[in-house]
Amino acid sequence: MKQTSRYPMRRVIVAGALLIAFVAVFVVKLVEIQVVRADEYNAEAEQVRSDSRTVYGARGDIVDRNGTVLADSVMRYDITLSPKQAKAREAEEPGQLEKNAADLGAALGIPAEQVLTVIEQSLAADADSDFAYLVKQVDVATYDRVTALKVPWVYSQEHPGRIYPNGAVAGNLLGWINDDGEAAGGLEAAQNECLAGVDGEVTSLHSLKDWVDIPGTERTVKEAQPGGTVQLTIDADLQWEVQRILAARIAEVGADWGMVTVMNAKTGELLAVADVPTVDPNDPDSTDVEDRGSRSFAAPFEPGSTFKALTAASAIDAGQADPTSEIVAPYRKLFGDANINDSEYHEDERLTLTGVLIDSSNTGMSQFGERVSDEQRYQDMVDFGLGTESEVGFPGEGAGDLNGGPDWPDDQTRYATMFGQGLTTTAIQIASVYQTLANHGVRMPVQLVQGCELADGEITGKPDQTPREVVSAKAADETTAMLERVYLEGWLAEKWNIPGYRVAAKTGTAQVADGQGGYRSEYLVSVSGYAPADDPQYVVSVSIFDAVTMNSSAASAPVFRDVMSQVLKKYRTVPSGAPAPELPASW
Amino acid sequence: MSAVPAQSLPAPLRGAPAAAPTRRLRLVPDAVRRRKPRIAYAIIALGAILLVAAAQLVLSVAMTQGAYELDSLRVQQTKLERDRQIVGEELDALQSPQNLARNAEELGMVPNTSPVYLRLSDGAVLGQPQAAGHAASSGPLVPNSLITDVPLVNQPATGENATGASGAEAPAGADAQIVPPGALPTPDTH
Repeated sequence: MKQTSRYPMRRVIVAGALLIAFVAVFVVKLVEIQVVRADEYNAEAEQVRSDSRTVYGARGDIVDRNGTVLADSVMRYDITLSPKQAKAREAEEPGQLEKNAADLGAALGIPAEQVLTVIEQSLAADADSDFAYLVKQVDVATYDRVTALKVPWVYSQEHPGRIYPNGAVAGNLLGWINDDGEAAGGLEAAQNECLAGVDGEVTSLHSLKDWVDIPGTERTVKEAQPGGTVQLTIDADLQWEVQRILAARIAEVGADWGMVTVMNAKTGELLAVADVPTVDPNDPDSTDVEDRGSRSFAAPFEPGSTFKALTAASAIDAGQADPTSEIVAPYRKLFGDANINDSEYHEDERLTLTGVLIDSSNTGMSQFGERVSDEQRYQDMVDFGLGTESEVGFPGEGAGDLNGGPDWPDDQTRYATMFGQGLTTTAIQIASVYQTLANHGVRMPVQLVQGCELADGEITGKPDQTPREVVSAKAADETTAMLERVYLEGWLAEKWNIPGYRVAAKTGTAQVADGQGGYRSEYLVSVSGYAPADDPQYVVSVSIFDAVTMNSSAASAPVFRDVMSQVLKKYRTVPSGAPAPELPASW
Repeated sequence: MSAVPAQSLPAPLRGAPAAAPTRRLRLVPDAVRRRKPRIAYAIIALGAILLVAAAQLVLSVAMTQGAYELDSLRVQQTKLERDRQIVGEELDALQSPQNLARNAEELGMVPNTSPVYLRLSDGAVLGQPQAAGHAASSGPLVPNSLITDVPLVNQPATGENATGASGAEAPAGADAQIVPPGALPTPDTH
């Protein structure tokens, strides 16, 4: 009794202090765990208990102007195997390797030896090899067949893939996605920013025994974001028909390659851009590397006589000529140091500007071209969109080369540029020149992509649609009237006749630079034009390279006729009423 | 009794001596009899605990059951999505222009490059009608590797062909004229 009552206060204080210290230790620890290092521990715990899986943000579609899907996202499966396990199983159960290889081969459509070769090769490289690709990018049906076999050493990886339902239709424009999931060229690459989706991540807890998710534990770490849809100005049906017509003609005349561009004359929208040979993006390897892109955009060439329409419009716009202006066109004529001749020998001819275009006379065209100052002529070319990439911005698009104008290096080049030699343009640029002439001298920006519709409905990347007056309406319309006479009186009049419609067109047979300052022996034959000439709606431009059996624009004329009539039919263009106005070709 | 009640009690007189001195001593009262704990409360409390436990058990079982159901439905969903993709891919291949064109050609159709229009307002024929020529087959011109395995409409896949053939053998007489699927039927007029 005495002891307990001696220092009662001190005992209480000591006991209290001890208690407080004790609790404080726990509080500190608690705060450290729950507050200071909470994130770290949570993450660690999450890792141990939970299972994370990727939710794929699907790559957006590429659709044509009517919504037809040209590029579609699908699920694909890489079939993989473990060479080590395959060998180990074989030791336990002889004969299973042979049998499973045969089954797998049948399911995958590959020879059974290939399965064995993959195993042998991986083991040769690394005796402990636990992973090797068997086949990449198989479709769902094949995947189902493989999983049904239940081969213990075969696995699969799921990942998004890409199919192109219309095959080679617009394959030259679309590009493709390679086996590694990267965009390889074309619009797939150009529009990757719009198309690409963002993969998300979801974690959840699962039971250990059978991997069933525990309800309520699903947590979205990152929201998946599907890619946007790219809508083109291309019409898939027309594109197919154009490719078909061109491919048939190229096979017929034994040509190397060809290009056809169809453009809306009023808006500058590209309705079809065909390059033959065309890659099938489902199977790009079956096409030669140089044929997998779009020459129409990427390969500038010397346009040749189709260019004379531009020079004629330039001369009229400058007030230096009209369709009935008269000159004498000899076979050969010297202009300063330039020695210009026509393609075939002829006596001196008394031609009007119209006649010069009909006969496609180089000496005649040069006499009109030199009436316009170099600066003005060069400025007109630039205004027509030459010398710079078009507004499309296609990957690898060529700008064309105006050869240093207006200070052309020599007279020969200076005069050659009046009839389309000595400078280069892309097929798209030539189509754009004719679009300008067809649209009364007003150039519309070239359009291939209408826009990108993001997943939330917002539309971005709308193309520029600012018109630009290049030459006067009078100059353009008079050029149209002359090109109509070319269509009616030119040497191909029979071959490109489209009954019922008035058409304006011009041929070209251009020499192709060999890249070493000279010209190759092959020709690039072309036709560019538009219809109906009384109210131009559609521009068609055809170029065929090295038509072995018919090395003149007669090779391309039927393509122009078939494509143009298909376009007029497809868009229900009313046939022309009045006949084309008469213009004198000679005097 | 007065009709008017007293307004208030008369105030006690201040300082007035107590009428009677209170008694200081009292009898100790009996200890308050402690109330017997009522069994009902215990039952209620225990019952509530049991109920909660049971509810939790039921919920837990239901949830577990739900988890398995959810899982099997998810598996089913994945399977259906795969099926949808297979069918979708098939449909895409079928509606590709290559497939439509080769089927049209197989049925003997050719494109006509000279369109003619009939204007309804005055019955005028616009354009110059011309007979369609024979067009070359468009088959391999615009390749599509997706349709290589797709049968033509009038050439059913080998599997279907077997049943089709056995069906064609059976009937004789009136039904003998079997139109192959997809072919243009010949009218029976004389």
